[in-house]
Amino acid sequence: MSLPRVNAVVIGAGAGGGVVAKELCEAGLRVALLERGRWYTANDCRKDDLRNQRTSVLGNNSGPDEERNPRVFVDRDANRHIVLPSEGGYSNNAACVGGGTLTYGAMAWRYQPKDFRMRSTYGTPEGSTLDDWPISYEDLAPFYEKAEYEIGVSGDVSNDPFKGPRAKPLPMPPLPPTREYEILRPAAQRLGLHPFDLPMLRNSVPYNGRPPCMRCRWCVGFVCEVDAKCGTHNTVIPRALATGLCDLRLGCMVKEILTTDQGKITSVSYFDAHDRLQEQPADLVIVSGAAIESARLLLNSKSKLFPNGLGNRFDWVGRNLQGHAYSGATGLFDFDTYDDVGPGACIAICDYNHGNPGLRGGAMLANEFIRLPYQAVDMPPNGVRWGKAHKDFMRKAYRRTIKIMGPTQEMPVFDSRVQLDPTVKDFWGMPVAQLSGYQHPHTLEIAGVMAAKAEAWLKEAGAIQTWRNLPGNGVSGGQHQAGTCRMGNDPKTSVVDSWCRVHDADNLYVIDGSVHVTNGGFNPALTILANAYRASARLVQFWKGKV
Amino acid sequence: MAKRSALTRRRFLQVAATAAASSALISCGRHAGPWRFFTPGEARTIEALCEQIIPADQDPGATWAGTIYYIDSQLVGHFRKLQSTYRSGSAACDAVCRAAHGQPFAELPFDQQTAFLQRLPNTLQPFFDMVITHTMQGFYGDARHDGNRDAVSWRMLGIPVIPIRGRDHYEFPGKG
Amino acid sequence: MAFLRSRLALLALAIGILIVLGLPAASLYYEYSAGESCARCHEIRSEHSSWQTSTHRAVACGACHGEILTFDPGFHLGNARRLVQHIRGAYRDPIRLRTLDVNAMVGRCQKCHQQEAAQWQNGPHGITYESVFLDQKHNRSRLLMDDCLRCHGMFFEGGIRNLVAPLNTEGPWKLLPASVVQQPVIPCLTCHAIHRSGDPLHKDNDNDSSAKSAGREELYRPSLGFFDRRERANFSVAFLPLPVMFDSGRPVKISPDPRQSLCYQCHGPLASMEVHSGDDRTPVGVHEGLSCLACHQKHGQHTRASCSTCHPRLSNCGLDVEKMDTTFASTKSPHNIHFVKCLDCHPKGIPKKRSASARSSSYR
Repeated sequence: MSLPRVNAVVIGAGAGGGVVAKELCEAGLRVALLERGRWYTANDCRKDDLRNQRTSVLGNNSGPDEERNPRVFVDRDANRHIVLPSEGGYSNNAACVGGGTLTYGAMAWRYQPKDFRMRSTYGTPEGSTLDDWPISYEDLAPFYEKAEYEIGVSGDVSNDPFKGPRAKPLPMPPLPPTREYEILRPAAQRLGLHPFDLPMLRNSVPYNGRPPCMRCRWCVGFVCEVDAKCGTHNTVIPRALATGLCDLRLGCMVKEILTTDQGKITSVSYFDAHDRLQEQPADLVIVSGAAIESARLLLNSKSKLFPNGLGNRFDWVGRNLQGHAYSGATGLFDFDTYDDVGPGACIAICDYNHGNPGLRGGAMLANEFIRLPYQAVDMPPNGVRWGKAHKDFMRKAYRRTIKIMGPTQEMPVFDSRVQLDPTVKDFWGMPVAQLSGYQHPHTLEIAGVMAAKAEAWLKEAGAIQTWRNLPGNGVSGGQHQAGTCRMGNDPKTSVVDSWCRVHDADNLYVIDGSVHVTNGGFNPALTILANAYRASARLVQFWKGKV
Repeated sequence: MAKRSALTRRRFLQVAATAAASSALISCGRHAGPWRFFTPGEARTIEALCEQIIPADQDPGATWAGTIYYIDSQLVGHFRKLQSTYRSGSAACDAVCRAAHGQPFAELPFDQQTAFLQRLPNTLQPFFDMVITHTMQGFYGDARHDGNRDAVSWRMLGIPVIPIRGRDHYEFPGKG
Repeated sequence: MAFLRSRLALLALAIGILIVLGLPAASLYYEYSAGESCARCHEIRSEHSSWQTSTHRAVACGACHGEILTFDPGFHLGNARRLVQHIRGAYRDPIRLRTLDVNAMVGRCQKCHQQEAAQWQNGPHGITYESVFLDQKHNRSRLLMDDCLRCHGMFFEGGIRNLVAPLNTEGPWKLLPASVVQQPVIPCLTCHAIHRSGDPLHKDNDNDSSAKSAGREELYRPSLGFFDRRERANFSVAFLPLPVMFDSGRPVKISPDPRQSLCYQCHGPLASMEVHSGDDRTPVGVHEGLSCLACHQKHGQHTRASCSTCHPRLSNCGLDVEKMDTTFASTKSPHNIHFVKCLDCHPKGIPKKRSASARSSSYR
């Protein structure tokens, strides 16, 4: 049985889907916004330090459902592991209204101009699919600005000399400095670096009808109790709903995208909140399920014309799965550095994103988010894991450490990928995502250098002991997952065109981190939001017959 | 008069049915010990392991903090899959200990326990690693999880259990 | 067919009888064992054992948790539901009091603590859900959010979206559950944990109190603590912080009275820890270093007669301190009693004190 036709189905109410739904609805399109998760609030989350999106040892606080959504993770020795959302290797982001933006740390980075031209700048290393984006920083800049103003960003990037050109300052000032800020800023300046107040999708003053951050210690991984963290759940999605044209359906797991024999996308079939199979016909279908689930959905949507999945004629769907190779260092001080003031991360440098001799890229470095005690138990550097020595270290170090980390830009790897698992099915009987692959050795080389830079900064700040935190060599993904439906002009080496339209299908779009060719040395949220604004603008023009 | 007899009848009915109901419920009362999952023997072993991992010194350790309650209750909750691992792991730990020292782990003096864990056979290492992880979660995790009584670890680290935070008295422009 | 139907009817009848008779009976069984049989259920064993050492050890379970001798079907069905969950192993730990349980306890507390309850009810902390969440002036200028429930309605089961609609600054607003409208948002359990370990309260005329005779007068009642909604637990004032406060960067002297840590949970400063920021009322100026409870009565918060505790009838200048231009005399005064400084009234400098006898007490 088929539901009444809508103009567009948007699959996933996260960063990408939320923006698309709002833009389409405001242009007058009737939209069905399908979200497999729920609409969580702070009340559902209650600051549980062992059960959240950052520390999920007792589960996640914003989805997906633990029992219904397994994945398969293939390790470097080709061993298959069935993993649940809260377990390592799953690469979970979230499943809820707002997606990752509900609980993220909310760093609001624009990628730098060179991040869109990685192949032109550096050349592609062997064993990587490093390439240029089909669009430039300048193409995206107006939409970065729109995201900064519509979703809301605080900070002060005027002291960052490495940023791309920008027309306007950020809409909100930075939050007042923390103790870590006061320690790290002069140290960076002494090293000749260029520290600044990092941009955050978080209110520092009343903005968009919501209050400022109250600076509690439960930030990244948690739902904000005062709604100061800006995500699609409290900005664009409510605006989409206010148009009266957006039908947000929760608990809806999309099964497949249906196609005519001629290759025209006709509808989406999904299991509704009562697990009944529904079919929603639509003129446009926009997939915004994040890199792993978007790829899985395309692969699961098989038809006569697309026997290997939608958009997968050249076997690029699910390829180049990437996140960030996080690396950095921890420093122990002989005075208190902890001040119990959130969100913690507040100061950054972009001196090492590019221009590192012999390296293709680098990372933004910033101090870490405020850490709850359990997040510090793996901290001791000397292999001390238990006993009195461990307890002594915790007592000595917990209030006296600063951690600087950076998201090292990855060299994409063709064999790091999302596939359909041949045997494991989810609750609804659909093949689950199987993740496999590895980090390119050059990524790890860059990460090592970034860790050394972080360590040098901490030493200059007065750390009496420092140690490095290095990434593993397994496939990356997690909350920064990207790359699986690459954007490109050549249909043979990409999945979507520069406007996020799937090459083989006129009315099918992928609008989320999947389309990122490379993922910058930055947290990707603002780029996903900006690109969603850009792609939506084109979609609206297309709808109105103007292109 | 009528009212009084109604009350008596009500009371009579209640008391009469008490016997039947109580016989069914007494069996629950026989369930000895505070454990959801562990047997008393297992609990002694695990508690001794927890105390080795976070021993009492100037600040209370894992036993005082009740960290084992966290593990026990999670073993019938989020850690259900690990029940057999705990069961066989604690048995193996005691078996190896008996073979070497003639006593189960919990009966050894504290320093001898430490020495035993420092030279743990490879077969027991994964089990001990898991207990370390869970002990850290219970002891350093939020007090609500029952492994960190009175938030003792947070107070040890100098973290107020609940911080003091007021709210800004903002007003939205043009409103009110 | 008819046979089957009669068997079914018989079964239904049997189940009905079991429910009608069995449940109150089971409840009665628990009532008549002084709590011992309650604790047979290991789900509440820790609650039971904490009660045995608590300030309320002499008060029977039913006195606070509801009389068992009730034909209220909800009460017994609730117990039956818990029993089924228990047998299926699907119980939640720990058992929590529901919103209505907490509200029902107010009346039960009142039975013994009449004076305190009356003061609380007539003071600013006796406010109801209706007066807090349907405040037009507030709701028009500020957005309601989950964090409001931290200090108002901390026992409410559900988030703000389950309590008030619509969640905007346009209104008109209404409370979604009608049952809470007239209920208090800061019930007794907000600041008192009934099961916390301690000696039972002795009346003031009981001069043989063991604590007093041992020379250890208690600083605060052991029950005193704050119910943190996020943790769903009441934390003793012994574990609650007193802030380190600043007045434009200058460290402020704070009374060490630990009871104030309760006040600070809701009347707290912003993260800057500056006095008068956020909801802070830390006294600076002439009253710096005073405890909140030096002036504010415990349950009613009123400050009547508080001035005369420390001040002589007339000030150095011969003025009645209670009639000076401060917020004590009039809420419209520019001189907030919490922050008023000597220079506010003596802009040309503070005059010398006239005599030693008129010197105000430095009793803090």
